[in-house]
Amino acid sequence: MPRADPGVRILSFGDGALLVELLPLGVASGVNDARRARLFASAIRDLRTSSPALALGEPVAAAASVLVPFDPLSVDAALLARRLAPLAAALPVAPPPDSDARPRKVRVRFGGDDGPDLAAVAAETGLTEAAVVDLLAASKLEVLFLGFAPGFGYLGDLPAELAVPRLAVPRTRVPAGSVAIAGQWAGIYPQASAGGWRLVGATDAKLFDPSLPEPALLRAGDRVRLVPA
Amino acid sequence: MSQHAALDVFEVLDGGFLTSVQDAGRPGLEGMGLGPGGAADPWSLGVANALAGNAPGAAALEITLGGPVLRALRPVTVALAGAELGAVTGVGRALPSGQSRTLAAGTILRFEGAVIAATGRAPDRWAPRMRAYLAIPGGFEVPPVLGSRSTALGAGFGGLEGRALRDGDVLASARGDPTTAEALWPGSPVARAQTGDGGAVVLRVLPGPWADLQATEALRALVAQAWQVSQASDRVGLRLSGAPLPGVFPADLASHGLTTGAIQVPPGGQPIVLLPDRQPTGGYAVAAVVITADRSVLGQLAPGDRLRLRPATPDEAVAALRTAGDERERALRHLREDRQWDALTDHAGG
Repeated sequence: MPRADPGVRILSFGDGALLVELLPLGVASGVNDARRARLFASAIRDLRTSSPALALGEPVAAAASVLVPFDPLSVDAALLARRLAPLAAALPVAPPPDSDARPRKVRVRFGGDDGPDLAAVAAETGLTEAAVVDLLAASKLEVLFLGFAPGFGYLGDLPAELAVPRLAVPRTRVPAGSVAIAGQWAGIYPQASAGGWRLVGATDAKLFDPSLPEPALLRAGDRVRLVPA
Repeated sequence: MSQHAALDVFEVLDGGFLTSVQDAGRPGLEGMGLGPGGAADPWSLGVANALAGNAPGAAALEITLGGPVLRALRPVTVALAGAELGAVTGVGRALPSGQSRTLAAGTILRFEGAVIAATGRAPDRWAPRMRAYLAIPGGFEVPPVLGSRSTALGAGFGGLEGRALRDGDVLASARGDPTTAEALWPGSPVARAQTGDGGAVVLRVLPGPWADLQATEALRALVAQAWQVSQASDRVGLRLSGAPLPGVFPADLASHGLTTGAIQVPPGGQPIVLLPDRQPTGGYAVAAVVITADRSVLGQLAPGDRLRLRPATPDEAVAALRTAGDERERALRHLREDRQWDALTDHAGG
């Protein structure tokens, strides 16, 4: 597979997809990488419209990569990779925020039964619980991408002072609406599920409602503030 | 006597182990955090729908392992494909996979489950026993959600109230007269599987995206041993038991997009093969990816089944997909010819 620039690799992901990696494996990513991934996905959507013969599926933008599904009976993987390489090479180094990003305020009850890990997060970061909440509330977060569950946005980047590891053993059940952090990310569990992030609060906001025209409250690129309730 | 609406077609007397409405799923909604969902065995869904005269991705029942009991509320043609799960109509007439049959109102259709040889030794041939698909002309009528009638069991929407069938449910048909001519599928009613030593199913895989880096050793170990499908498997993924893979990957990668058939290696080294109810993105390393042509067989693997993963080439993967497509087209053509012949002879006789 061709190399587009030193950071970009176009990798085979089975017979029906290519994975375009914008950062080398294992290099920490952040808001800027997610923006580049979304911009690349948008370029793929344009290519899909202009070149239907390539039989592309919907691209999946994530932390620092884009999965590009295609129909292997219609297009050769190596040929497709050659079409994608220049698009990846043309990506700006530091794209601006998405033009269609929306501000989203999420009211959060921090600590207590709503955030059972807040005390431990404070202890591990050497901060008081109030200082952890202040830092979270002051963070200008961006929805990097959605994944894990319907409506679950990866929110970043948290300040380095708040970086805590995931639980060694995930909880088998995290309640819906739980606000959680791990590493440089925050997230809100749309429905009850298993989960390994540290629970610092809870919200009544509905993150995913399939009966709505736009089911997910958060869209990649949106600006999010966690507002103490 | 309960009152039933005009389009009601079945009363569910027993939901069985896990029976849900599934169609071709909701691909392309990864942007809102959704995996594709839909039938775990798309080949068999397509066969059942072809026998019912439907488009390949129409809404059908996906029956897992067995158990459901349905009572016809009106005359209805049922078309069956996938694993043989002991389907019986009326007082005891077997309905094999790959056939359709028109039931009179009041007829009971039950699935007694696959007959497993109780000899205590491993069978030398694999037979699918995981999922059967039941289609009716016009498909089952449940409200489409986000472009599909599939049940998203994890998120709890789609299908019948976002859940598996249970006793007391009533299923509606999309069509006023859900009957059509009975038919026989002129081909395999379930995707063809390759089997290896001792009846292990062989799935063909391509190396994962990082095969040139740390993943090589894990890939070698992945294809070197036989695996067993664990009881913890579900529509999200098959969990494989065997000697743990070497922990050569970084424990945490940045989350990346996934496909059905991707084989993830979590830190414990027990691989997970992703099925349609998977997440759209994940951070575990992917050691290999099952070829598209073998995904329907993948959807038929049951807890306890043994499998081997065999390295394939990209050309082999595409050729296998083309072969499966050709076989399907050939069978569809024969089915159409049979129907035309039946129509002609009916006309001549009447």
